[in-house]
Amino acid sequence: MNRIRIITGIAACLALMLVQSAQKVQAQRTTSMRINEALVINEDNYVDDYGRRGGWVELYNTSANVVNIAGCFLTDDINEPKKYPIPKGDVLTKISPRQHILFWADSMAWHGTFHLNFRFQPDKSNFIALFDSDGKTLIDSVTVPAGQIPDVSYGLEVDGGLKWTSFAKVTPSTNNLTLDKNEKIENFKQNDAKGIGMTLTAMGVVFLGLILLYLIFKFVANMAIHLTKLRSKRAAGDASTDSGDISGEVLAAISTALYELNEDVHDIERTVLTIQKVRRTYSPWSSKIYSLREIPRK
Amino acid sequence: MHEKFFSFLGDNLQLFLTYTGLYNATPGHFIMIAVGLLFIFLAIKYEFEPMLLIPIGFGILIGNVPFKDAGLQIGIYEQGSVLNILYQGVTSGWYPPLIFLGIGAMTDFSALISNPKLMLIGAAAQFGIFGAYTIALLSGFEPNQAGAIGIIGGADGPTAIFLSSKLAPELMGAIAISAYSYMALVPIIQPPFMRLFTTKKERLIRMKPPRVVSSTEKIIFPIIGLLLTCFLVPSGLPLLGMLFFGNLLKESGVTRRLAETARGPLIDTITILLGVTVGASTQATQFLTFNSIKIFGLGAMSFVIATSAGVLFVKFFNLFLKKGNKINPLIGNAGVSAVPDSARISQIVGLEYDPGNYLLMHAMGPNVAGVIGSAVAAGILLGFLV
Repeated sequence: MNRIRIITGIAACLALMLVQSAQKVQAQRTTSMRINEALVINEDNYVDDYGRRGGWVELYNTSANVVNIAGCFLTDDINEPKKYPIPKGDVLTKISPRQHILFWADSMAWHGTFHLNFRFQPDKSNFIALFDSDGKTLIDSVTVPAGQIPDVSYGLEVDGGLKWTSFAKVTPSTNNLTLDKNEKIENFKQNDAKGIGMTLTAMGVVFLGLILLYLIFKFVANMAIHLTKLRSKRAAGDASTDSGDISGEVLAAISTALYELNEDVHDIERTVLTIQKVRRTYSPWSSKIYSLREIPRK
Repeated sequence: MHEKFFSFLGDNLQLFLTYTGLYNATPGHFIMIAVGLLFIFLAIKYEFEPMLLIPIGFGILIGNVPFKDAGLQIGIYEQGSVLNILYQGVTSGWYPPLIFLGIGAMTDFSALISNPKLMLIGAAAQFGIFGAYTIALLSGFEPNQAGAIGIIGGADGPTAIFLSSKLAPELMGAIAISAYSYMALVPIIQPPFMRLFTTKKERLIRMKPPRVVSSTEKIIFPIIGLLLTCFLVPSGLPLLGMLFFGNLLKESGVTRRLAETARGPLIDTITILLGVTVGASTQATQFLTFNSIKIFGLGAMSFVIATSAGVLFVKFFNLFLKKGNKINPLIGNAGVSAVPDSARISQIVGLEYDPGNYLLMHAMGPNVAGVIGSAVAAGILLGFLV
């Protein structure tokens, strides 16, 4: 009965882990895409491969994996989520980790994969949404407010971040926030030039980790000693027996004595002395000793 | 006709000469070849870490044979060359975790489990890393470079390579060579500082023999060790994950073949590839810089600080321990994770003062704790500086 309970418990845990990991995997797929920047009125700005100017929307892959957005949908109408199906079979729909992709909102879908079948309304607010390949799951959406200034884009302050802002200098297909330095390193240079802060923090964490291990294993050791005592009491029926009191030297002496005794004891074996080569059709792959079906050694 | 032919031969011979090593050699190449030969000599004559110094030393010879940069794809820094492909295990950082897998499969944590307070010595010795980090900052290195240099004080070659490949790839050759050199020189660096910071009375302290550890405890250790350290410092996952995984293979008792592979053929293969490619990466043109000399100086300091911190911490710790439970401060140096050499030094120095005082088993506790501690410290530096 207990065994059934244990197996049921393990199965439940595994199922839970599978569900969670499936969600995590999903998180590294299309759901990790974000609408990152949009330019509604393009008067004197970025041009497409046909030399034309138009509004555009930029998507950003926030994950550390390549994401293929083929089959997803872009729309400007929440009631029509499948308005523009992103074509399948185009290698360019595979977005590298932390990379961008640009779609032209020029209502000229015949110009290729990255030209949408709708365009932005310069005098109104514009809704943009990205739906997953099922056409139901909303991955991300944004409403670009009305009254956009020509050649000023509306985007996330930091790629994949939360806060939206306007960019006088638009950044199509590149980072919204251009970093020329590693912020973490700059922070350390400014605030911890002598490394004292780092030393204190890091040594604190190292000590914390090993102190926690120490406490856990102190507890485990006490439990183990307690269990050993209980077992020896049960085995010997004598409460005074305590193997923990035997010193290492005594144990070593006993072990050596037993080893020497065993070394001297030999069975008389039948042996044949020969100069002929002994043939054995042996292979580790067929060996029973190394077989996967070997009974586990305790 | 003949003149033309001889002129053709002469031109060819001249062209061939421009391809020879002698034609392209610089004094730097000869200096590095001398360093490589010194490593090989130290390994063979004095058996200083021969498993590391022979591949690295020979790698230095390979890396410093001069050649004409004619796109022949022979140099380690030429994309697509055989050496470059082998070197990717270093630059992408996947050799060190595999070495840690092997280390886990060959490490017996019994000494640590039987006396868990020894873990704290392994933590204290990590002051070497951050002491060197501070000095490197003051010497003008950037924080990421200082972090990569500081890890030399962890006395753990794979960790040093792993971290420097992420934080400061341009310094990796010098850091790796420095870390392995000082690991080999532990018998020379540590004893004077162990003697300096201890009294004769302290050196004679006899510690209780470690208790016998059950197999259940040994199995629990890698599991709890992994979960606890990696939940605290997830950036240490590649190293700690493989270390504890290897140890579970060893201790579970049912994966003997896997454990034997990890601690035998696998670690040997990776050690060969790692050693020879790290050695070959020290091309004179890339390696002989003033920064490399500074890194060597800082590396030595980090070992001294780590050793001193370990010994002094034991003395401090002893203030809180009862008379029979005192720890011999001579095992403090073993917190520097050069396994098992620094533990052996504890044993040797201990025997000098009391021929019946065997400290090796006790020293193995802080020694393996040092491996965990330096991997955690590397994870912290990675998290802070990348």
